[in-house]
Amino acid sequence: MSISVDLPELGESVLEGTVSRWLVKEGDAVELDQPIVEVTTDKVDAEIPAPVAGVIEALLVAEGDVVEVGAALARIGDGSGASAAPPAKVAPQAASAAAAPVTAPPPPVAPAADGPRATPVARKAAAATGVDLRAAEPTGAGGRVTRADVERAAAAPASSPSAAPSAASPAPAAARRSRVPDFGHYAVQEGDLVTPMSPLRRLVAQHMVFSKQNAPHVGTVAEADLGGVSAVRAAAKSAFRESHGISLSFLPFIVHATVRALRENPQLNASVVEDSIVQKRDIHVGIAVETEKGLVVPVVRHADRLSVAGLAAAIEDLSSRARSKRLSADDLQGGTFTVSNPGRKGNLYGFAIINQPQVGILRMGEIVKRPVVREVDGSDAILIRPMMHIALSYDHRAVDGSPANAFLWRVKDLLEEADFDV
Amino acid sequence: MTLATEWLGTVRYGEALALQEQAVIDRRAGRTGDRLLLLEHPAVVTLGRNSHEEHLLTPRAELRARGVDVHEIPRGGDVTYHGPGQLVGYLILDLEPRGRDVDRLLRSIEAALVDAAGELGLAAGTLSGMTGVFMRGSEQTESKPTGRVPARKLASIGLGLRQWVSWHGFALNVSVDPADFGDIVPCGLHGVEMTSVAAELGARTPAELGSLARHAVERACTEHLG
Repeated sequence: MSISVDLPELGESVLEGTVSRWLVKEGDAVELDQPIVEVTTDKVDAEIPAPVAGVIEALLVAEGDVVEVGAALARIGDGSGASAAPPAKVAPQAASAAAAPVTAPPPPVAPAADGPRATPVARKAAAATGVDLRAAEPTGAGGRVTRADVERAAAAPASSPSAAPSAASPAPAAARRSRVPDFGHYAVQEGDLVTPMSPLRRLVAQHMVFSKQNAPHVGTVAEADLGGVSAVRAAAKSAFRESHGISLSFLPFIVHATVRALRENPQLNASVVEDSIVQKRDIHVGIAVETEKGLVVPVVRHADRLSVAGLAAAIEDLSSRARSKRLSADDLQGGTFTVSNPGRKGNLYGFAIINQPQVGILRMGEIVKRPVVREVDGSDAILIRPMMHIALSYDHRAVDGSPANAFLWRVKDLLEEADFDV
Repeated sequence: MTLATEWLGTVRYGEALALQEQAVIDRRAGRTGDRLLLLEHPAVVTLGRNSHEEHLLTPRAELRARGVDVHEIPRGGDVTYHGPGQLVGYLILDLEPRGRDVDRLLRSIEAALVDAAGELGLAAGTLSGMTGVFMRGSEQTESKPTGRVPARKLASIGLGLRQWVSWHGFALNVSVDPADFGDIVPCGLHGVEMTSVAAELGARTPAELGSLARHAVERACTEHLG
């Protein structure tokens, strides 16, 4: 026995709301009147309370979704799980089966519009696990497939879908049998170490999938001679440690060059917002930091207003607070570009995944002494220089090759000029 | 339904937030009736969870250096400014006996503020499609950020609902300097200009505007919301 939590009527002119935040997750026990979700309308921010006590069986909409008044937001059951038998779905299924063939012929991998009704959460889960939504038995409101249904389908052996296709549409239904196989499936074996993902790990994973699915990444790489930076750093290092109490790494120099190059190439300091590209006035640089709990990206605000010393101090402050888990939500928000420094060894270069909703991320490679050819006094010479690859991933929706290259070239240029005041 | 109004004086934003949370709990538990908390805040810029960073026009550090608090709040909505000379009303109302009708509540708040402005000698009104109270004559501008004259906004309204008890409410610009809103794009509304009762009255501004405004708002709210 389960009960649907719908977006209540808030007044006659309130027709829809945006799900701003879930306060519970699937499987959570809730009490009567406990707020379970925040919904923002143009009139009011409302916390929607649970109409009954029970267990959240399914979240039917995702954060950011716009839902109409009366639409089901979640389903609350009595916790027995199995007893939450899917209601008789014969009519809706027949209806959708009858309606679907009109749009035939279906493409081999049917887009969402052509598939069965499903919640956005379920669609994401289906995309992530490779489950065909048509293979899932819908138990949601209005015959919609929920995430739980997708998970059940993912766990089930790849047999035929439970419900026989309606006789109204035998041919298309048969064509649809050729399902996308579950490439991600792995049956856990004895001796395997199974570690459930932490909430942070899950969030990182979802963010990575989202970014890769939505932003066509292009990578480009340059090589910078850090000899000049090295010299500046070596000269300033001990005095810097004495006056600031922290060591001076290469990172603040790289960030400094990056923000100057961003100032000159604002296409890279942008976001894709629906059908627009938004160039941001401010430059807030995210610094990817690996902590024992996972990857976090605290943000140096107004990084373009800081000197190398200021950047060093800000980065040191953020990364030490990241490691001691004292970052506030504010520290993690609002980045407009990201610099990733994943450590020196085993890292000639590599392309990072863009930190959405930004359009670019710069990834530092290892710094290695290499023989390079330089012109010295009018003739070519082989010199030994500390070299670093800098790899830029950019979102080709917003940025084309030449501005991206121009930006990266400028970063390299600034690093090689090494005109830094410390 | 009776509405108890209370004047709390100047209360810091964070403190008022805690006070409201408690008031909602008390109202829900039936320990109090419906309440209108009237107060002023020291200068503060609040950012909701959905705030657009670009609607904050001045860097946080600079605001803080000027003594303007920057407060992030766990609610939707965009950037807002509160400060001295602005009468803030927090409405702790149980909407269950009011038919859970947010629309009606918003219209009542608007009507109350229009009446209060009228009592102070101003012709204020509402704009279709926009919550808030505006000076009459700025209706034709609607909400579009076009080249037209911006609508002059006298009061902002923003409500939250927790288990059908409302919180937050309205902010009436009494004598606040409209320039104080210069650090933000109010509520993310381009094409809207902030004004105040004093700015509209100009030379006609009475000496006791603060308490006159407070009493006008109390009376109008009791009439429309009580």
